[in-house]
Amino acid sequence: MAIAREAEPVGSLREVREAGLDREDLLGVYRSMLLTRGIEERGHILYRQGKIPGSFYTGRGNEAASVGVATAMGADDVGTPLHRDMGVHVVRGVEPWRIFAQYMGRADGPTKGRDGNVHMADSKLGLIAMVSHLPAMLPVAVGCALAFRIRDEKRVAVGWFGEGASARGDCHEAMTLAGVRKLPVVFVCDNNQWAYSTPTHLEFATEHVADRAEAYGFDGVVVDGTDVLAVYREAKRAIEKARDGGGPTLIESLTLRMEGHAVHDDAFYVPKEMFERWAENDPIERFRGWLRENADMSDEEEDEINADVKKALNDALRRAEDSPLPDPSSLADGVYATPEDLDTPHHK
Amino acid sequence: MATTEAIDVVMPQMGVSVSEGTITKWLKQQGEQVEADEPLLEISTDKVDTEVPSPGSGVLTEILVQEGQTVDVGTKLAVIGGDGAQAQAPSPPEPATAEAAAEAQAPSSAETPAPVAPTQPAPAPAEPEPAHSTNGKTFVSPVVAKIASEHGVDPSQVEGTGRGGRVTKKDILGFIETGAPAESPTAAPQPAPAPAAAPAPAPAPAQPAAPEPPAPAPTPAPAQAAAPAPTPAPAPAPSAAQPGETFEPMTAMRKGIAEHMRRSLDTSAHVTSAIEVDMSKVTAIRAKLKNEYQQSYGVNPTYLIFVARAAADTLREYPWINGEIRGDQIVTRNYVNLGFAVELADGKGLIVPVVKNAEGLNLLGMARAVTDIAQRARDKKLLPDEVQGGTFTITNPGGYGTFHGTPVISQPQAGILGTYAVVKRPWVVQDDLGQDVIAIRPIMNLTLTYDHRLVDGALAGRFLRDLRHKLESWEESTY
Amino acid sequence: MAELTYLQAISDGLRTEMRRDKRVFVIGEDVGVYGGAFKVTLGFQEEFGHWRVMDAPLAETAIVGACTGAAIMGMRPVAEMQFADFISCAWDHLVTVAAKQRYRAGTPVPITVRLPSGGGFSGGPFHSQNPESSFAHIPGLKCVCPATPEDAKGLLISAIEDPNPVLYFEHKHLYRRIKGEVPEERYTVPIGKARTHRDGDDLSLITWGAMVYTAEEAAQQLESDGVSVEILDLRTVLPWDKQAVLDSVRKTSKALVLHEDTRTGGFGAEIAATIAEEAFEDLDAPVKRIAAPDTPVPFSPPLEKAFIPQVDDVVAGLRDLAEY
Repeated sequence: MAIAREAEPVGSLREVREAGLDREDLLGVYRSMLLTRGIEERGHILYRQGKIPGSFYTGRGNEAASVGVATAMGADDVGTPLHRDMGVHVVRGVEPWRIFAQYMGRADGPTKGRDGNVHMADSKLGLIAMVSHLPAMLPVAVGCALAFRIRDEKRVAVGWFGEGASARGDCHEAMTLAGVRKLPVVFVCDNNQWAYSTPTHLEFATEHVADRAEAYGFDGVVVDGTDVLAVYREAKRAIEKARDGGGPTLIESLTLRMEGHAVHDDAFYVPKEMFERWAENDPIERFRGWLRENADMSDEEEDEINADVKKALNDALRRAEDSPLPDPSSLADGVYATPEDLDTPHHK
Repeated sequence: MATTEAIDVVMPQMGVSVSEGTITKWLKQQGEQVEADEPLLEISTDKVDTEVPSPGSGVLTEILVQEGQTVDVGTKLAVIGGDGAQAQAPSPPEPATAEAAAEAQAPSSAETPAPVAPTQPAPAPAEPEPAHSTNGKTFVSPVVAKIASEHGVDPSQVEGTGRGGRVTKKDILGFIETGAPAESPTAAPQPAPAPAAAPAPAPAPAQPAAPEPPAPAPTPAPAQAAAPAPTPAPAPAPSAAQPGETFEPMTAMRKGIAEHMRRSLDTSAHVTSAIEVDMSKVTAIRAKLKNEYQQSYGVNPTYLIFVARAAADTLREYPWINGEIRGDQIVTRNYVNLGFAVELADGKGLIVPVVKNAEGLNLLGMARAVTDIAQRARDKKLLPDEVQGGTFTITNPGGYGTFHGTPVISQPQAGILGTYAVVKRPWVVQDDLGQDVIAIRPIMNLTLTYDHRLVDGALAGRFLRDLRHKLESWEESTY
Repeated sequence: MAELTYLQAISDGLRTEMRRDKRVFVIGEDVGVYGGAFKVTLGFQEEFGHWRVMDAPLAETAIVGACTGAAIMGMRPVAEMQFADFISCAWDHLVTVAAKQRYRAGTPVPITVRLPSGGGFSGGPFHSQNPESSFAHIPGLKCVCPATPEDAKGLLISAIEDPNPVLYFEHKHLYRRIKGEVPEERYTVPIGKARTHRDGDDLSLITWGAMVYTAEEAAQQLESDGVSVEILDLRTVLPWDKQAVLDSVRKTSKALVLHEDTRTGGFGAEIAATIAEEAFEDLDAPVKRIAAPDTPVPFSPPLEKAFIPQVDDVVAGLRDLAEY
């Protein structure tokens, strides 16, 4: 039996305006979703061209969830997005060319070639780079919230994790600490139903991951992760509640991972019908339809956004390919921080 | 009364980091009967205050630590039972031991009167290495090999005091220092009979504080002690000592010197020319500079320094005397690396430290350089590089008044300059009117021993003439 | 100067930094009302409040992970592990997140993790370990192991000030047993610099932590044999003062490395290997290691005594080297 609240879909433009988005914002959200998917589609091409070393992970199907939460965050809020959350980087303003440079292991990627894929973050944009050990970033997000609480700042931290990672102790410990101290943190579970090849019923025994929130002493909510406006509304509520001292919320955003775990995985274990059913709920198509229906998005506006995104991607790709590969002599640089490294806004 | 085995009450360890505790109250008095596990006293520690239950049953025979006292964990506080039926005067607390502390935590009861002290600890983790037996003498450790190579010493000649007779670093350093095994006083050499021909041992040449006229004089010729000595041909087995004879093993350095001297005589065609030099001007300048040099710079402008300074200049004009024969090539240089034969203590050896680029030094520079290397030679603090690369050598065997000698060339150089005692002698000079008169002048003999394969007699003669001229016409401002 | 115990010196260092820098806060199990299992933070909550002296749930992963997040947000967290042994629960957050964040993402993580470590009092397998070598293998971390009260204070302040994750191994056996003069003012002891605990010419004994005192007792015994032992207190194992070790070994030509941690893969192995690589030609004997045997730390006193290197073991090792 479900314990968490199940969020309603968003209906009208008026409802969205009440949640804080005007028509211009909505077109911006649409553009971010297109850019998110475009970056990952180009990534697939680069990978098949042999330009991306290692493996390659994307978040197809999760564009609404990642863009929706990031849109709800304030400028001073921080987050720890994961490998299905490209939309967070896009919304926070990471330049696409740097993402391509990161993919290709170039010197201008955010990690300068020291790490790959979406293991990156621009701390100036309030993001902290993920590690592979999921959900290790949840205690880190809780720590950010702790810093805000100690300093009495009206800021919120958002920590992402997947339904698979919910099985690990980090998740439990992070939520315990956040719960007992009512810290300003929002936990976002990207439940894409498959942890590599393992389905949800082998990862957790409750109906929803969000059902656990009750046990930690805060609210849980399940939202349709293909509905960007519903995700936005729930994230906004949770973030503002945390900001106002109301403590954490666990948002579970339900989607389907529309590709394999990584580029090498054909996801044969996912029933074909499941893909077909969820393909009908493609988040970008869904929002496009909503915009046309509820916000009068015209053909011209759509063409303009599409052309703009296409140009941004082409420019970014060109610039990234011009970025040099890292110099092997830089290998040992920066293992240790120097006092100058602390010269950032966070450490003032 | 109590005839049972005595049970000690010790200060318990109330937590892993607690090292001491204070007795706040004795709940039983001396002479009272106590039962096992009955509260016996109260203690206070850094971490917690608690009651201490009695470790056994019997009469509280002795209280050793009074209320208010703070003692280490494991200290004996009281005794229960035992033969001390009569209360005794408290004695000072015994120091704690790890075992005692541990015992304090061990459970005990009336049935098990006293905790059994831990038995001997298990074997220590660090086991001594098995002794090296047979190869101790032949195994040479890296540092010993390095020192041996630097000083041209054969480690097998050094008596080892390490395991199995291995030569230790101390052994070889002691050997080099004294020419004898480091810690083998039994091998102390008797004074050797004074050699008939060789000059007597004397202090090293460049000693700044050397008494006046003559600079000291070492053995006839330098040996390049730093160069590894080639293995000498097997020596004939020594016969037994005859009456009155004493045997003394030859040090590696002595062997090296012997080999070098022989090889030099076998290599170069030694010829010696001598010249007499009127040192009047040098003497005058020296007298003038001496105080200043000693007070301001702590060096002594010895005659040797003047000769060295003049020789370095003259050598620039005679490149072959500063040169060498290498194969069928003649090597000349645009620099002068001047070696100085320095005698080690007790006449037990020679070393030839080198002043590099001596041509660039003025008189003060030369004095400092020579003083420095001579001192470090005697202190055994020369670097390997400082005994190599000489292009010409000066030896100063005039210390005991000798006025002539025929030193042996330090290979592969082409010449060696000998300096001898400065002696006041009647000297024919011209007076202001151009008349010959006899004056008393300080005269020094110089010898140039040269390799006649490369240096002709006339060249050697001109060299000595020019050198004499520089010394006799010395102007203070020139140098 | 005041005479403080090692434990008081740690408290003093921590209090000094908390008074000086509002970004410094303490989080750990029972550090608040109780003052910490060893009372290092006794009275801190009264002075600094419960947000800066924070009792955490029994959740080492969350403690160290939260320190990482707070540090990235500009705080200077000091986490206390109740016992160093429990750091295994937070391994991931030190090794996976904190240690690598600067290198791969450019984000400094200035956290200090205090680790009450070491045995000698029947703490058993889970309250006695010295896990420094495990972390000395992790690029991006720093590991300090003070032995004296003065170093305890100065190194703690350096650790808090350092822009990197620093593991501060404080030896429980020294807490109340070791007293020493400690300057009252704020000062730092540089991370990565060894200290010559005792001058000597014949043997170099390299050690750290509580073993410094075992070494000292052994060296005193060797002195009566006429053997002069130089004791180098490494103070920091990552980064370690290679130069000081090599300088000492080049002087004495004989080296013994002593540590309380177990032998195989212990940090002594790194030191011995470095001496062999870089000072081979100056050696007059094989480099010797004395360490605990490769077992868990046992509980019962005779077993534990056999486990932890004792003065007699060190004396035997030094004699063996001296006689070599």
